[in-house]
Amino acid sequence: MTDSTPVLELRGITKRFPSIVANDSIDFDLAKGEVHALLGENGAGKSTLMNVLYGLYGADEGEILLNGAPVKFSSPKDAITRGIGMVHQHFMLIPVMTVAENIVLADEPRKGGIFLDHAAANARVRELAAKFRFDIDPDTRVERLTVGQQQRVEILKALYRRADVLILDEPTAVLTPQEALDLFRILSELKADGMSIIFISHKLHEVLEIADRVSVLRRGKLVETIPVAGATEESLAQAMVGRAVLLQVEKTPHSPGAPLVQVDDLYVRDDRGIEKVKGVSFEVRAGEIVGIAGVDNNGQTQLIDALTGLRSPESGSIVIDGEAYDNPTPKVMTDVAGVGHIPEDRQHRGLVLDFSIAENLALHDYRHEPQSTRGWLYPGRLVASARRLITEFDIRGGGPSTAAGALSGGNQQKVILAREISRDPKVLIAAQPTRGLDVGAIEFVHRRLMSERDEGRAILLVSLELEEILSLSDRILVMFEGQIVGEYTPAATPEELGLAMAGASSHEAVA
Amino acid sequence: MNVAARILQPSVKVTGIAGILIGLLAFWLALPPALVRTPVIPVILGIVAVAAGISVVTRGHLRLGYGAVVAGVLGIVLGLLAIQSGETHLRMVFTWGGLLAATLSYATPLTFAALGGMFSERSGVVNIALEGMMLVGAFFAVWGADVTGNWMLGLLIGMGMGGLFALIHAIWAIHFRADQIVGGTAINFLALGVTGYFFIQIYGNDGTPDLTSGSWFTGESIPNVNIPGLGRDSFFGQVIGGLNLMIWLSIVALIVSYVVLFRTAIGLRIRAVGEHPRAADTVGIDVYKTRYAAVIVSGMLAAMGGAYLSIGFVHSFNQNMTEGRGFIALAALIFGKWRPFGAFAAALLFGFSSALAQQIPPAYSDSSLSVLSSSSLFLILPYVLTLIAVAGVIGRSVAPAADGRPYVKQ
Repeated sequence: MTDSTPVLELRGITKRFPSIVANDSIDFDLAKGEVHALLGENGAGKSTLMNVLYGLYGADEGEILLNGAPVKFSSPKDAITRGIGMVHQHFMLIPVMTVAENIVLADEPRKGGIFLDHAAANARVRELAAKFRFDIDPDTRVERLTVGQQQRVEILKALYRRADVLILDEPTAVLTPQEALDLFRILSELKADGMSIIFISHKLHEVLEIADRVSVLRRGKLVETIPVAGATEESLAQAMVGRAVLLQVEKTPHSPGAPLVQVDDLYVRDDRGIEKVKGVSFEVRAGEIVGIAGVDNNGQTQLIDALTGLRSPESGSIVIDGEAYDNPTPKVMTDVAGVGHIPEDRQHRGLVLDFSIAENLALHDYRHEPQSTRGWLYPGRLVASARRLITEFDIRGGGPSTAAGALSGGNQQKVILAREISRDPKVLIAAQPTRGLDVGAIEFVHRRLMSERDEGRAILLVSLELEEILSLSDRILVMFEGQIVGEYTPAATPEELGLAMAGASSHEAVA
Repeated sequence: MNVAARILQPSVKVTGIAGILIGLLAFWLALPPALVRTPVIPVILGIVAVAAGISVVTRGHLRLGYGAVVAGVLGIVLGLLAIQSGETHLRMVFTWGGLLAATLSYATPLTFAALGGMFSERSGVVNIALEGMMLVGAFFAVWGADVTGNWMLGLLIGMGMGGLFALIHAIWAIHFRADQIVGGTAINFLALGVTGYFFIQIYGNDGTPDLTSGSWFTGESIPNVNIPGLGRDSFFGQVIGGLNLMIWLSIVALIVSYVVLFRTAIGLRIRAVGEHPRAADTVGIDVYKTRYAAVIVSGMLAAMGGAYLSIGFVHSFNQNMTEGRGFIALAALIFGKWRPFGAFAAALLFGFSSALAQQIPPAYSDSSLSVLSSSSLFLILPYVLTLIAVAGVIGRSVAPAADGRPYVKQ
């Protein structure tokens, strides 16, 4: 941090929408070469503030100062020409175009005034990529890149436009832990190069790791701006939510009962016919949470698909509460076997976003009494039971007839929890149950899973978040390349698990 | 892999393409000028093609392999049919010079309209109204040429009206975010009604007057380009010796369209807007302006296709004279995977089938087979091809990602 004039200063920014004040007189400043984190729950006003800064929204009140001089941005173009770059949460890349084409778009090097100079574009991109040690070929089409590489293309886009302020909107939400580490390395290099960075997040440990200062927003208001040095996860969480938050779930000693899930030597292929689950065996007992840790795409998805009947296994057996299910279908697994499923992609698999909350809650049970008799549906009964569940699961943001798509991520997840748990399943499979949720919602989901365990359900938790696995599970299995490579107790350290997740132990065995 | 091994073991792709060519050769040898009269040759070549196809299929290239198999079977069947047919008949139908010249003239309206559709759809606006824009171009080109006495002004007036109808489509599709299929269909009916009304009002039952023949700068119809030095009897003379100016212009439009779309900054922006408008917006491209411009250009190009039909080809206007060519152009665009040369190749294929449909019935007028002598049956050939094209025979054709989706600015 330096003492000179801030690179960027927002003074008293207020932005009102018809029903809400999204930003209420917010002050914010950014020093040269600093990483300033903007922390807040979903809907706290982080994105609105950045959209005002990027010229997408006009502010109702307040002013923006760039290097001490007031500026007015009426479109992203204005912001870009003044050196502000933004990496959006949903990448603004065109999949069928090359890396170079994406980067130079709207600011193309030209030959003879109109012709696109591909060679110059590629050279410029190569030069920028080399400077920051990005391993990216300008001629590759973006659709062939990994998510982490795509993010680097977004960063290059800003660098190409000579940005000296870089806004990153929830940059780690889509990354694997390893990719997130790479991103942090890149950010520190950019910072050393004089870049000023605004880092939007709701993940506390990331903020503590990467930021110099942090500003916390809550319900459109600035709560505080403090140096990260003195802050802890607990203090930040409290500022963010407005009350003390339990980051660690209280875990009662578990008393496992009979095995409800027994998987033996299971093999599953993916859509392309590639074997993704290779001889997996484990069991989950009543009243325990078994966590499956692993880096994404190591067979977890196919394992869950097999257990829920969405995909037929190649071979091996699945036994639920003593009954074998050889060729399971989703209907048999939910209705007969009693398996509840919280899917990893809640917007595509978990909910029909255009349907109302009541309809989404009845997706399984619409064909049974009392929701329907002999194919005749009773909408009134759907609404009545939805009312009950909305109260019980504290679903906020709408009533039974509100479309599920209009809810926040946390409340959408509560709808799914309500639907699956209210059917009184013997087994609950929770895949990435808190992905993309804010602190308050994560706390709710964790507590609920814990209490369902204490009710005597067998819970299989699959998550990419190590902290989540460690704090909830009674036993931990690590999955790597389709196999279970180790079993751990919750006393294991993240480092131990991380090594196993990277396949270290199996490599040692070979060596 | 070293060179010798490469020659001994041709790649799967080469085998597949060779198979398709051999299959076509089986048929071609039975036609003039080769006119092979023994069934052995087409059968052997066809079997070779099928064998090549099967070997390609077993090596995993399904589409190419089945293509070769189909080409082989077709080669045998069509080759045998040709051998059954009388030599004089074949010589009348397959006068290659005339057939190819006719192919080019039938393809030209499709080329213009397909190029137009490409600009619109590449920018993200589905243009099912090509048909209507062609029809408007056809009528107002005749009217303009008739009133001003000059084909150039007629062409410009036709293009202007095509652009105006495109603007209406653009306002509905971009500004009001109406469904683009419904809006486009409405434009087609509007064009049918407007041209029909003015046609009856202005020209009545007599039809449009005879247009005076054109030269480079005067006259009411678009002139043909006679290339000096190419004798009317030589093969090239027959094909390109006396083509209409608009046919040459369609080739120019094809090349210019390719360069603009794939070699210029403007083209990159048009494609960006059609693929991911929000991404284009965040780097400062005006999505709405780009789309308006692309749709208007689209209407003007389609109108050029219509104007060629009326003041270039038949020298008059009739109600609904485009007869679905706009839709066939749209099929050519899809068949050609939204790429200029692909669309042109598809237009040539449709043009060839139209030319063939025109040639076969008169040649076989003395034939006892009414199937061959009835002209109406062969007129469905281009439409059958359209169905096959749209069914995706050539491989999955992927539209621009935002094609047909209105854009809402934040």
